[in-house]
Order: sequence, then structure tokens, then C-alpha cells
Amino acid sequence: MKLYFRELKAYRNSTIIWIVSLSLLVIVFLSMFPSFTKDVEETKNILQNLPPFMASAAGISPNVMFSIYGFVSWLLTFVTLAGAVQSMNLGVGILSKEESGKTADFLLTRPISRKSVITSKLLAAFSLILITNIVFCLTTFAMAVVVVDTDFSATTLMLVLGKLFLIQLIFLALGFIVSVIINRVKSAIAVSLPTAFSLFIIGTLGVLLGVDSVKYISPFKLFDSDYIINNNAYDVKFLIGEAIFVLVAVALSYVIYIKKDIKAAS
Amino acid sequence: MNIFWREIKYYKKGLLFWSLGMALLIWSSMIKYSTFQTAGQSVTDLISKFPQSIQTIFGLTGFDLTKASGFYGVMFMYIALMVTIHAAMLGAGIMSKEERDRTSEFIFVKPVTRNKVITAKIMAGLVGLIAFNVVTLLSSILFINLYSHTLDFINDIYLLMAGLFFMQLIFFFIGTATAAISKKPKLSASIASAVLLVTFILTYLISFNSDLDYLKYLTPFKYFDAKDILAHHSLDIVYMLLSLVIVAVATLVTYVSYNNRDLEV
Repeated sequence: MKLYFRELKAYRNSTIIWIVSLSLLVIVFLSMFPSFTKDVEETKNILQNLPPFMASAAGISPNVMFSIYGFVSWLLTFVTLAGAVQSMNLGVGILSKEESGKTADFLLTRPISRKSVITSKLLAAFSLILITNIVFCLTTFAMAVVVVDTDFSATTLMLVLGKLFLIQLIFLALGFIVSVIINRVKSAIAVSLPTAFSLFIIGTLGVLLGVDSVKYISPFKLFDSDYIINNNAYDVKFLIGEAIFVLVAVALSYVIYIKKDIKAAS
Repeated sequence: MNIFWREIKYYKKGLLFWSLGMALLIWSSMIKYSTFQTAGQSVTDLISKFPQSIQTIFGLTGFDLTKASGFYGVMFMYIALMVTIHAAMLGAGIMSKEERDRTSEFIFVKPVTRNKVITAKIMAGLVGLIAFNVVTLLSSILFINLYSHTLDFINDIYLLMAGLFFMQLIFFFIGTATAAISKKPKLSASIASAVLLVTFILTYLISFNSDLDYLKYLTPFKYFDAKDILAHHSLDIVYMLLSLVIVAVATLVTYVSYNNRDLEV
């Protein structure tokens, strides 16, 4: 328990910065929503004639796009990119920082098992991501109430926003497994930033070029906004897929970390 | 000279992976291009009638995707994103890794001045940037040639690569400057990536809302916009000067603060 709170405290400032930046991002973009809806009226008709291969970069069909859900989905493209960097950074850093900070021998000579070390750390990382998501959802929801003058469904909006959590969870798990597999992570951000951005580039470019299978490679495109908005639910097969990935990654992290030869400070 | 070669060796493997990634990105995109070539022509005229915010949101960037140059123009944003990440990470890493790995004591008891160390590191970093730029250029030429069979815009590609190099320099020196200022070695990479993330999102914000056009000076991604370069066949002199000013200031900051700072040991 002590370790859990220690980690929460260690990441307190950086998490606050992340939460504030994500909230600012959503406030700035959503404040432009009223002027955007004006543009929409002018072009709705021309858009009907768009040829099908002109897919949208956000993967949203034209008629959904003009609602608040569609707008938020588009906005989430950037939020999820930032969120992926945050969570992967956290996932890579939280286990490896003992080694890179040369505090591993201090921590592991305490009377706690490695299992409880990793449990506390994973739980702390998960809690931080959860807090980020709760604050972000509340901010977005409050902002939506202010800028949207028609009625909208809170459930649909929350489902759309839930994409952030689902994507962050994947990157968190990816971060854990990467940090225990790589022998010595010198700098967490040098691992997480290129990974998150490459997957982002693959995903965006893939959708832009109409490669449908890209969603199996890039977590950013795993949950289709169009599907969420039209069905008011997530695609169950991808939810199961994600659950399996996360569970396997976490289980492997336990197995590897418990047996790993952790280098002491020399 | 020893430090220079040491750094080159240290970053050799990483650069290889980055190059492979870049070649793969360009290759896979150009394969896809061959399917676009056949699509209709009238689309571009239609799209240009949309308001800018709609174009941005749908990722319609005003390029003619049926032409190899337009297609490459769309990709350029992502190529730029990749090289700038590389540059920022390299800049922040190369300056801060002695403190991070606790080898600063070792290096600074050698008979070299701090200035010499900084210069050697910057030179090694520049070699990395140039190598990555050349790899991007060569893979672009190779794969465009392979899949579109014409290279009628080769001069524009040279210009785009020159623009790319300016962006690389800007982010590399932002990286070295943050590493030179910041006392915590880990913080420098985070700050450099924050700058990168913010300027990248800002690029979209500006294209989305034309009222924010004056903010374009804040984001290097707008300095060398593929659309302008492909249309005017030249780089904007104002932005080139601005880039040089940023690079000069950042270099100065790197030298001055690294020289005067109490290094972590």
C-alpha cells in the first residue's frame, strides 16, 4: 500500500499537467463548435456527392460528422495521440525507473515480494489513467452542455469519450510489457514517443488511404467512431480482443518481472 | 574527435531502425498510390469549394491524390512528423545522456572543455540528421519512381527535403537547448516532446480555423507546408530566416547554459 501511494505521489505533478493540457485542448476546440456548425450548413449538400473513396481522416461518415458526437470523435484523434503518449510513458516508466534511477536494490531489499511491487505499481498506473479519464470526461461533458444548443445523448457522448480510456489501456499494457522485455530502458519517453507516434501515423495514413485492415495494427483505429455513434455501443469483438491483449500483456509482465535479473546500482 | 565518433557509434543502431521505418512508410504508401491513380479527376475541383474547416476535418488537404506529387504532399506531413520526433529525441538525448547515465563525471574529468564536448555532440547529431534526411530522399525517389513511373517533380522533392532539414534543425536544437537548461536529465526529453506535440496539434487548429492564421509562426510544421512548396516551387524566404533565427538562438542557449550549469553527478 505504501508503494502504491508513493507512486501516485511521484506521478502527481506530471498527471496534473497531462490532465490540464488535455482539458485545455478540448475547451479550445469545442469553443469553435458553434462556428463550425455554421460552415456545415453551407456544405452539407455538396458533401452528399463525395465519392466513396474520399474517406475521412477521422474515419467518420459525413452525416455523423456534423453532430457533437462526430466533432468530439474528430477531436479525440489528437486527444488519443496525447493520451497514448501519456499512458505508454507511464507504463514504460513506472517499472523501469527503479533500474534507470538506480533505486532497484533499495526497493527490492524491502520486505515486500516482487509480486506486490509490481501489483502496487500497475494499480498506481491504472489509477492515474482512470483519474485522467474521469476529469477529461467531465470537462468535455460540461463544455458540450455549454456550446451545444440542441439536445444530445449523454450516453453516446460518454461512449465516444470512452475511446480514450480504451486506447490508453492498450498503451499502458504495451508499456508494461515493453519495459520488462527490454533489458535496460534508459529513457521512457524515448521508447513511448516513437511507438505512439508511429502507430498514429500508420493508423491515420491507413484510414486516409482506405486500408481497412489498419485497425488490427494501430490501436488508434480499433474502435470505429461511426460504429459507436450509430449503434450506441462498442464493437464487442474488439472489446474482447482488447481485453485479451491487456490481460496477456499484464500476466506476461508479472511472469517476466518476477524472474527478471534486475541490475543493482554499481 | 573521440567523443564525436563515440556518439556516432552510440546512435548508429537507432538510426538504422528509424531509416527502416521511414523506408517502410514511404514504400507502403506508394504501393497504395498505384490504386489511386485510376480514380476520378473531378474530385479535386469539388473539394476546393468546401470551407477550410470541413477540408481539415476530413483530411482533405487540397492535394490532387491522382497525381504522384499530390499524393506525396499528403504524406509529407507524416514524414515531417517522423523526422522531427527523431530530431527532438536525438537532440535531447545526446546532451542529457551523460547526466542520465551518470557518466558526466567521467567525461568532464577528461582534458576537454565543455565547449568541445558540446561541439562534438552537436556535430555527431547533425551527421545523424543529414543521414536520416538522405535516407528519406533516396527512399522517396526510389519508391515514387517505382510506383508512378514518372519523376516530374524531382526538384520539388529536393525543396521538400530542404524544408524537412530546416524542421529537423529546429527540433534538434530545441532538444539540445532544453537538455542544456534543465537540471533533470529526464525532463528535457519530455519538454522537447511536449513542444512537438503542441506544435503538431496547433497545425491542425490553424488549418481548422482561419482566424488563427497569425499563429502559424509558432509551429515549424507550417513553415514548410508541402502545399505551398508544390504550388510555388520554392521555399518561403521569411520562414527560412525565421528558422535560422530559432536555430541560432537555441544553439546559443545550448552553449551558454551548458557551460554555466552545475552538472548533476
